[in-house]
Amino acid sequence: MPEEASVWDVFVTAASVADALHQLAGLQGEGRIIAGGTDLVLQAQRGLCPSRAMVDITRIPELDRIETRDGFVVIGATVTHARIAGSPTICSQAPLLAQACGSIGGPQIRNVGTLVGNVVNALPAADGAIALFALGAEVEVADLDESRWLPIAELYEGVGMCAIDPCAQMVTALRFRPLAAHLGSDFQRLARRRALVLPIVNVGAVVGVYNGCFTDARIAVGPVAPTPFRASEAEQLLIGQPVSDELIAQAAVAAASSARPRPSLLRGSPEYRTEMVEVLVRRALGNASAQAVAA
Amino acid sequence: MSEVIGRSVERADIATKVTGRRKYPQDFSMEGQLYAKVVWAEHPRARVVQVDTSVAKAVPGVVDVLTAEDVPVNEYGIQTCDQPVLVAAGGMTYWTGDRVAVVVAETPAAAEQGRRCVRVVYDVLEPVADAREAIRDQVLVHQGKGTNLIQHLKIHRGDAAAAFARADAVVESLYETPCVEHAFLQPEACLGYIDRDGRMTLIVAAQWPADDLRQLAHLLDVSQEQVRELVPAIGGSFGGREDMSLQPLVAICVHKLRCPVKMVWTREESIRGHGKRHAFFIRYKTGCNRDGTLLAIEAECVSDAGAYESTSTVVLANAVSFMTGPYFCPVCWVDGYAVYTNNAPGMAMRGFGASQAAVTYELQMDKMARALGMDPVEFRLKNILVEGSERSTGNRMPAGTAARECLVAAAGAAGWKETEGKWIRPDAGRSSGPHKRRGIGVACAYKNVGYSFGFDDKSTARVHLRLGDKGDIASAVIHTAAIEVGQGVSTVLAQIAAQALGTAVEKVHVAFTDTATSPDAGSCSASRLTYMSGNAVYRACLEAVARHDAILRDETGELSVEAQYTFRGRSYRPTTDWDPISGACDPHISYGFGAQVALVEVDVETGEVQVIGLWAANNVGKAINPAALFGQSAGGVHMGLGYALSEEIVHREARLRTRRFSEYYVPTALDMPQQFVDIQVECPDPTGPYGATGVGEVPLLPTAPAILNAIADATGVYVNVLPATPERVWRRMYPSASIRGRPGLAVV
Amino acid sequence: MPAITCIVNGTSTTMDVAPGELLADVLRERLGLIGVKIGCGEGECGACTVLVDGLAVLSCIYPAAKADGRQIVTIEGLQDDRHLHLIQQAFVDRSAAQCGYCTPGMILAAKALLDLTPNPTREEILTGISGNICRCTGYYQIVEAIALAAERSREGGM
Repeated sequence: MPEEASVWDVFVTAASVADALHQLAGLQGEGRIIAGGTDLVLQAQRGLCPSRAMVDITRIPELDRIETRDGFVVIGATVTHARIAGSPTICSQAPLLAQACGSIGGPQIRNVGTLVGNVVNALPAADGAIALFALGAEVEVADLDESRWLPIAELYEGVGMCAIDPCAQMVTALRFRPLAAHLGSDFQRLARRRALVLPIVNVGAVVGVYNGCFTDARIAVGPVAPTPFRASEAEQLLIGQPVSDELIAQAAVAAASSARPRPSLLRGSPEYRTEMVEVLVRRALGNASAQAVAA
Repeated sequence: MSEVIGRSVERADIATKVTGRRKYPQDFSMEGQLYAKVVWAEHPRARVVQVDTSVAKAVPGVVDVLTAEDVPVNEYGIQTCDQPVLVAAGGMTYWTGDRVAVVVAETPAAAEQGRRCVRVVYDVLEPVADAREAIRDQVLVHQGKGTNLIQHLKIHRGDAAAAFARADAVVESLYETPCVEHAFLQPEACLGYIDRDGRMTLIVAAQWPADDLRQLAHLLDVSQEQVRELVPAIGGSFGGREDMSLQPLVAICVHKLRCPVKMVWTREESIRGHGKRHAFFIRYKTGCNRDGTLLAIEAECVSDAGAYESTSTVVLANAVSFMTGPYFCPVCWVDGYAVYTNNAPGMAMRGFGASQAAVTYELQMDKMARALGMDPVEFRLKNILVEGSERSTGNRMPAGTAARECLVAAAGAAGWKETEGKWIRPDAGRSSGPHKRRGIGVACAYKNVGYSFGFDDKSTARVHLRLGDKGDIASAVIHTAAIEVGQGVSTVLAQIAAQALGTAVEKVHVAFTDTATSPDAGSCSASRLTYMSGNAVYRACLEAVARHDAILRDETGELSVEAQYTFRGRSYRPTTDWDPISGACDPHISYGFGAQVALVEVDVETGEVQVIGLWAANNVGKAINPAALFGQSAGGVHMGLGYALSEEIVHREARLRTRRFSEYYVPTALDMPQQFVDIQVECPDPTGPYGATGVGEVPLLPTAPAILNAIADATGVYVNVLPATPERVWRRMYPSASIRGRPGLAVV
Repeated sequence: MPAITCIVNGTSTTMDVAPGELLADVLRERLGLIGVKIGCGEGECGACTVLVDGLAVLSCIYPAAKADGRQIVTIEGLQDDRHLHLIQQAFVDRSAAQCGYCTPGMILAAKALLDLTPNPTREEILTGISGNICRCTGYYQIVEAIALAAERSREGGM
């Protein structure tokens, strides 16, 4: 149980996005947004969350949607990992995201934790975020003046450092293009047990194959650097080239060479984790290509 | 044998557990109770210069802050009084689980606030962090002891040099078994108060209440009659509640403040505040004839006993006693050393030295079989102990020795076939993917049942019969402090009693443990309760039956019968202590045996190991409650699986680096073998109640070595350092350069 | 902050809760529902599992304030006065509890699973309880109990 009875002084519920932003503004830098709270509660207990006031957005109806709109799949800020993992839309339009969200924690965590919350937490070991990087997702950031879409990579400034100001802004949605017919995807995760565990390495891959050649390649890797990243050198090796095991193996080596993991007690040595990037990228590319070809 | 023994009767307490009505210590509260929180030692090795409680005492709601000065006799310990209740100013801390002060307040929040305000000034010293260094005595953990060596125990039997010189095959390896955590689900909690009779009463989860009373009486400077423990329910134990944890702290608060005090540890405090399984470092050398006969075993082991002695000498004794495995070997040289460090104290944990030994002797046996080109079961059977065999300590194995039976049962169930006296292993089957390899491994193990080395192990039970109008038994209540930790002992004792009394098990009830009314059953440990308490209950019931018969015969009209019996292990088998030179002795009252086979699939690119199948055969002597025994077997495999693959308590510079459940990987439901076969071998112990023997620990012992041997079968390499995490397996497979640049996988 | 009103085990309950108070503490300390067990306090063991609007949730990391307007079910709310719930009975019949500390959370996780997936595969059962740590049983008897409950439910049990 928590080390003190009450980790926060204020807990309010917002009725709309505008309401949430106004409440934040009213709290003058002391408040922040909370959705499921599965990370925030622990951070607060450990003295790692500076905010003493929480603005709960989980009652805002428009944030609770998974929909296709204007050619995008849009996921609202309060959609849980469980809903994403079980969503027919996601399973058909972006299967690797369903895989990723389904591998987080256990059923209870997935019932409450949100994908957007995971992104805002900005830790590199974030399965959902890896899938979003591979999907080339964008994030809608709203403050009192405006809301705009940013590429997801722009949100990650460092370990646990999200580019948004959590006391004045909120992320309202994610969006990405659904995977077209010629695209295949895969998600790979290496961990020390089969549930309730952060990954040692995870990889998300989206590839397109047309006439036996790679037309698209997006490879996202974590947590082997301060933020999740796209292995762009590896992606460039693939695009335009005929699909082959040898080429995939080369791309996997290239992806591993951009990994910069630091020693980690729980995740292991940099050497091992770098090697595992190569293994998982190779497997993800293999599965994704097979899916793309079969489509 | 009629219907009660051998029937999976409903567990005595399960209805209250599935409804959530069963109360554990944290679920008790009392009017006017205060809340207590511990100020933990900041450093594993430091002199406490000053403890300033003034600011804390001024926090609103804080009632008092207790320090060493508030402790009547500031020492306790299960074997040696070497632990302070609270470290005094001027005293030393020896691990980060040492306690410096206790804050008592009207609310938990105030206690927490008070705790943060206690100012302790330390003179920080460099900790002793590695047992292999500590044994050199360059820096002494306990200055007053003059050495870090707690004990050296040995078996020196025969001429090792000559035997190894003659051997056709010799295998020598270094092994490391880790520090692991009990991880019982219920964190420590205690509600203490002064009862109506003026006794210091503690509601707490404890494995040996009578011994707690002894220690509490000493530290409070009162008589044992003035102290009382109630054990309402325990949320798992596994040895982790044999030593006292928070009882002394709550006791001194209640003693001073004379009102109820409640203390509940967080999981982090639990991991920080109780001892762990001893880490062992073992060098092991085995020599054999080409025909597979063992010639010599030489083993040297160092155990990390941590900050205080706890039961380290007995864990060491067990490790040394069992180090050569359930095999006959004419020449045995085993040297064991228990050493102080500033790590968490090594304490009792299921297996108690025999588990660390089992990992090493079974990997050695496997390596030797491989060196000889012999089937691993064939090789083990060639050397296995049977009734009448001489074991490492020179005594003869008694009736009920079932090592062979267990090995044959497990191996047979897993697919080994015996043809013309030769055992042939099964095919491990096709792997499920291109980067996976399957392997099959076997291991056997044994353990003592009951306390050893001359200890007068005993257990007392009292039975009270209430008779109906017709003189029949209306109900029977058993009073004994045979602690129910979830293993099912309450149910088993009720079954034994029902059988002995000739009455329905529904009429028999085992009372909650209350030291005021429950006689000392001895510790819930050493797999001893079914055997020791079962025998005590059985004999008490026979006496009750005799008295009942007399009442009926003489028509006295009495409506109740009471009988009490103290069963002593030495009445069946007196045990003896080590000969100081040779190690020869008759150390154990009885023995438990088990064997397991593991089928694994290894991802040879990542090192991940999945256990697909597990066959376990444990000798139960006589299955009193098969469903409960299945639970023990499966639970043991779960713990062994974690020990093999994922569980590790990491200390760095004697500080815990794995402090929470999120950092300590106990197997989840998804990690368990899909196929699990439990075989309850019934090779009766003629001295056990209805032939039953203890099964608390044996189910865990063969698991890790069976898995490690299976990994070796799959990959060609043995992982000698546990846990065999994916990275450790990977590094054993690829000790030099990376996969990159190699022309494909060079794996057997 | 304003009082919250939620339905706990079928009974409407209004309480003042502190902003950072956690649901597990409120249930245990305020409402006396000590069937809600604290195993780790960080959402890593599942012992504190309760149902919130039918979903299995870790009450030790769930702010009580979020429970406003919601239906909470603890282990105490499962049985009626005279009979064990079908799942509880199955646990009894399959000897699926040893120390019992994980049991309330485990049963509620099982209920959430069976409510969503009345005819689960073995894999689905394992996933359904993958967020609940048991240190005693090795899970096999628990899995059997859940399968038995599913079977009995299909046969028209309670």
